[in-house]
Order: sequence, then structure tokens, then C-alpha cells
Amino acid sequence: MFIIVAIVIGCIIGAIIGISAPIIPYTFSGYLAVAIIAALDSVFGALLGIMKKNFDIKIFVSGFFGNAILAIALTFLGEKLNVDIYLAAIVVFVGRMFTNLSIIRRILIEKWAIKKNEKSK
Amino acid sequence: MNNKKIGFLFGFVCLLLTFAIVVQIKTVKSLGVETNVSFAEDALRDEVLKWKEKYDNASVELSKTEKQLEDKRKKASQKDETSKANEEELKIGNTVLGLIDVSGEGIEITLKDNQTVTTETATSDMSYYVVHDIDIISIINELKNAGAEAISINDERVISTTSITCAGNVAQVNGEKVGAPFIIKAIGDSNTLYEALNRPGGYIELLNSWGIVTNIQKSNNIMIEKYNGVINFKYVKDAK
Repeated sequence: MFIIVAIVIGCIIGAIIGISAPIIPYTFSGYLAVAIIAALDSVFGALLGIMKKNFDIKIFVSGFFGNAILAIALTFLGEKLNVDIYLAAIVVFVGRMFTNLSIIRRILIEKWAIKKNEKSK
Repeated sequence: MNNKKIGFLFGFVCLLLTFAIVVQIKTVKSLGVETNVSFAEDALRDEVLKWKEKYDNASVELSKTEKQLEDKRKKASQKDETSKANEEELKIGNTVLGLIDVSGEGIEITLKDNQTVTTETATSDMSYYVVHDIDIISIINELKNAGAEAISINDERVISTTSITCAGNVAQVNGEKVGAPFIIKAIGDSNTLYEALNRPGGYIELLNSWGIVTNIQKSNNIMIEKYNGVINFKYVKDAK
């Protein structure tokens, strides 16, 4: 419960800061987009870890920043080589997001079903 | 590893994420680049279809209501004499406004761009050799001055709210595009109109000097169609 409240508060504060922040140059916005996708993937992975109770804070933090930086570096390299590497990064990260979300969904539904069974008894 | 620590961490991470997302959205928006062209195209297509349907519906509605109005007027005028007088008055009013087809004695002017000149033989700017909106306006002005009672340009009736403007390679009358050759019909005393336009130093002579083909024909039976649009008066009120 505390985690959900923290997430909501964090999102609201982040949005407020973001609205008042200046815009960034267009060249950077492509990198930022890939970084956002990478970070989002880490967050969903961490949520799954919490549900499975094998969450590790070191893995999460390193994944969050590491994935973002790696994605930015790959995009940069792709630009130099004239290959759209960022597409590969997006496919991998978004694909993993879907898998993680489906697993989270399954866990939640199982929990809910168990609770319902207990109540009916 | 307690829940509190994880909560703070998640809060901080989400703060960073939403901050980045909001900045990204703002940047993309401020540049005004179309991020998804096909989406935008589909939206435009939908818009076009929607307006087309609206237009079709509106024109059907308009003709229906016009018919109804006509019927009502006829019925009303059959009832008694005063409404018959009213009907006559209405007819005169509509004639002045340009809302009914009219015919009568008048002239027909045809304006054609210079057909012989080419880019090589032109001695001055090419635009002197074609008919412009300003030429049409001047001729209309001369016609009105000479006593024309009803005027149309390529079957677009000239009424009190008519504007004649340039629209690139064509001209625009009543918001409708009209192109060369321009056929200007005018009802009035055909001799007066003819002489007024053909006078030495007149506008037609000026046009002819640039090789613009003009043809003026007198006729005893000029047909001028009614104005097809709707005259909307939003701001004009009866002053009492």
C-alpha cells in the first residue's frame, strides 16, 4: 500500500517539476525517448520482483540507470553508423514490458481468486 | 529490505520518469512536428468526409425548405388580396437582392487572356497579358455606372455582398472559383451599356491594347441566374 502511495506522489511531483522545466533540444529528445522506455521497463520489472518477493534494490537501481544509459549509447552509436538501433531497443524493452505486465496480471488475478474462495467458504 | 525503503525508491524513480516524460512531451509539442503522419492524414480524411456529408445534408435541407417556403407563400397569396400585394413586394425585393432568376435586354462580355503572346515575345511582364480580378471589378463598376440592373460573372450573380478577389491562377466571386474565359452578363439598356464600355479610353480599350480578347454582344434576351448562396445578416438590425 505504502509503495502505491509513494508512486502516485512521485508521479505528481515529477509532473509538476516537468511542466515548469524548460524544453530540451530536439536532438536530445530522441535519446530521452529511448531512455524513458528503458527506465519504464525496469520499473515494471521491479514491480514484478516485488510481487514474486525476489526484489533486489541493487539490481533495480543499476538496471534503471544502466538500461537507460545503454539505450542512449546504442542510439548514439546507431546514429553514427546510420542504423536505427533505437528500434531494436524499443522492441526489446516494450516486449519485455508486455511480458512482465501479463505475469503481474496473472499473479493479481490468482491472489484475487484465492481471496474470493476464502470468503465464500 | 523494508517496505518503506522500497517505497521511497519507487517514489523517486517515478518522479524522475514522469519528469522525463513530461519534458519529452513538451519538447515534441513545442516543435510542432507531426510525430505520426498517417494518424494525422486519417484524421484529415475523416474531417473531409464529415464536412462533405454535412454539406450534402445542408443543401438537401435548403432545397426542401425553399420548396416549403414557396408553397407557403403561394397558399398565403391565394387567401386574400393584401397578401397578393405582399407577394408582389416580396418578388420585387428578391429581384433587387438577386435571389431569383431574371432575364431581359442587355449585353454579354467575354474576356479571354492574350492567346498569341509567349514568354519569348512578351515585351513586358507576363501578368499584363492575362485577365485579373481588378479588370473584372473595373468592368463591373463601369457597367453599374452605366445603369446595369443585374450582373453575373460566369453565372455567379453579383449581389450586394459579392466580393471579387484574386485566387492565384483563377478569380473568386462569391467565394466560388471562376476562371478564364470570363463571361460577364449584364441586364440594362443594351445600347447605353455597349457604348459606355466601348468608348475611347475606356477600360475595354486598355485591355485590348494588351491583346486581351474582348467580345461584347448585345442581346434582347439575357438570362441571369439567381444567387445560389444564403445571405446571412448577423449584425444588421432594424433601426427604429
